[in-house]
Amino acid sequence: MSQLNYRTINIDALDPESSTNFPMDSLLPASLPQPESASDAANVATQVRQLLRGGDPEGALRTVLDTAPLGGDDRAKEVHLATVIDVLQGIRQGEMTRILEGACSGDGGAERADCLMKYLYKGMSSSAPGSGAQSPRKNVSPQDTGFSQIQARNLGEGGGGQQMSVLLSWHEKLVELAGTGSIVRVMTDRRTV
Amino acid sequence: MAAPQAYHLFHAPIADHSFSSDKQTLAVARENNVELYQSSGNKFALSDELKGHEKTVTSVDIAPNSGRIVTCSQDRNAYVWEKTPDGWKPTLVLLRINRAATFVRWSPSEQKFAVGSGARVIAVCYFEEENDWWISKHLKKPIRSTITTLAWHPNSVLLAAGSTDSHARVFSSFIKGIDSRPEPSAWGERLPFNTICGEYLNDSAGWIQGVAFSPSGNALAFTGHDSSVTVVYPSAPEQPPRAMLNVSTRLLPLNSLIWNGETEIIAAGHDCEPFRFRGDENGWHLAGSLENKAGDAGGAREESALNMFRQMDLKGQTQADTKLKSTHQNTVNTVRVHEEVNGAVKSFSTSGVDGRVVVWSA
Repeated sequence: MSQLNYRTINIDALDPESSTNFPMDSLLPASLPQPESASDAANVATQVRQLLRGGDPEGALRTVLDTAPLGGDDRAKEVHLATVIDVLQGIRQGEMTRILEGACSGDGGAERADCLMKYLYKGMSSSAPGSGAQSPRKNVSPQDTGFSQIQARNLGEGGGGQQMSVLLSWHEKLVELAGTGSIVRVMTDRRTV
Repeated sequence: MAAPQAYHLFHAPIADHSFSSDKQTLAVARENNVELYQSSGNKFALSDELKGHEKTVTSVDIAPNSGRIVTCSQDRNAYVWEKTPDGWKPTLVLLRINRAATFVRWSPSEQKFAVGSGARVIAVCYFEEENDWWISKHLKKPIRSTITTLAWHPNSVLLAAGSTDSHARVFSSFIKGIDSRPEPSAWGERLPFNTICGEYLNDSAGWIQGVAFSPSGNALAFTGHDSSVTVVYPSAPEQPPRAMLNVSTRLLPLNSLIWNGETEIIAAGHDCEPFRFRGDENGWHLAGSLENKAGDAGGAREESALNMFRQMDLKGQTQADTKLKSTHQNTVNTVRVHEEVNGAVKSFSTSGVDGRVVVWSA
């Protein structure tokens, strides 16, 4: 024990006053929906793909954003992200604005817009979205903020770049509609997708 | 609507500002000092400096009746400044905090003031005659992070606080011997010190940057880093609120807000201009900007073709976009009531990172 290296001790973990011990779940609102499992998310995916095939992209987008597993586990969230990206990729460039305006109007429209913005950022940040088996991301930020800054981006290499360009054009359309406030809320909102 | 009067004081950020009750003196927090400006003609001229803090001054407030100035700073101290024949004399306040003091406001009774801090406490300070100094009592529970903003209820007992733990809270700061027993209200009936009368969190969370009680004190509004304004109408003590209405905007985050009557809120922040919100218990909405930019924009558009080519020729760019169309040229930090009649705001003042103080008619 004489060789104990004090420099390697994580003193923040021992200090109850430290910001790393901030109770992050105190930032979750009481209205958070019940946790969903991956199989629930898969059921939603089937339903949404049916809507998409049936020629109702607006309905598909509405459904997929209304059923976001905000309280779900990581697996459910991955499955749902893949579904959202499928829907976004399944909508033609020319129809984007019309469908987006449709989906983000009416009751709960603002929430749907904020939710879509979360998925756009999540889609752009994950290294292999939709492929399922993802290596657990290394936590680089001191708190588990959900945004890590150092990670591989999927540029080039086959379909990745194309998916990125789809997400970017949705981002552009969505900022026009929901403004910069929506981007800010992606950062503050703890109900992650 | 009269045009806003802008006073460009210096090229440095203004953390906070406060007007005296006669509107002739303006106190401005600039770096480690507080500068006092005196109105002369249509300008404000530097008349005095309050020197004493060793780090950035974060907040300043002039008591309207007594004329006392309270300041607080990142050096963990607060001073109460009193005017004497040979200048302003500071009195140190025993805050007992080990982090920066972030925000200070006099209570409407002027018997107390509250200091928010990074030490996760609010120091409620009052004067002790026997020992001839300002001492403090701490509001601690259940604050989990830095206090960024405070607002007093008209009864001088209830205190609203916004924090970086994304909660807006209402506390009782009742101090025996200083305060008279407050009237029972929807916030609470018996109000011993550190009673929590309300604790509110937005769905989209975000640091709270501004809080305010409505003129009657029966509603609370807060805004934060999620670019939204939330209005809470309490129902009864220990009950969930009657209504909690959230307006999420498409703007950049708002930093500060005030009420204008019971049905209007004015807020400003990172978009560099004030915005008006209107509503009541049934719903609130963003009514628009108070900035009158229509005239400028029209003029700019007319000559834009000529200007565009000239700019392209001279500078290699289509337009020089270093100047904003708004009166403030940078983030607005503070919005304060300037003149009011029975809760209806006639004019309000804003200050910001651009070193300007602007007085607007509401």
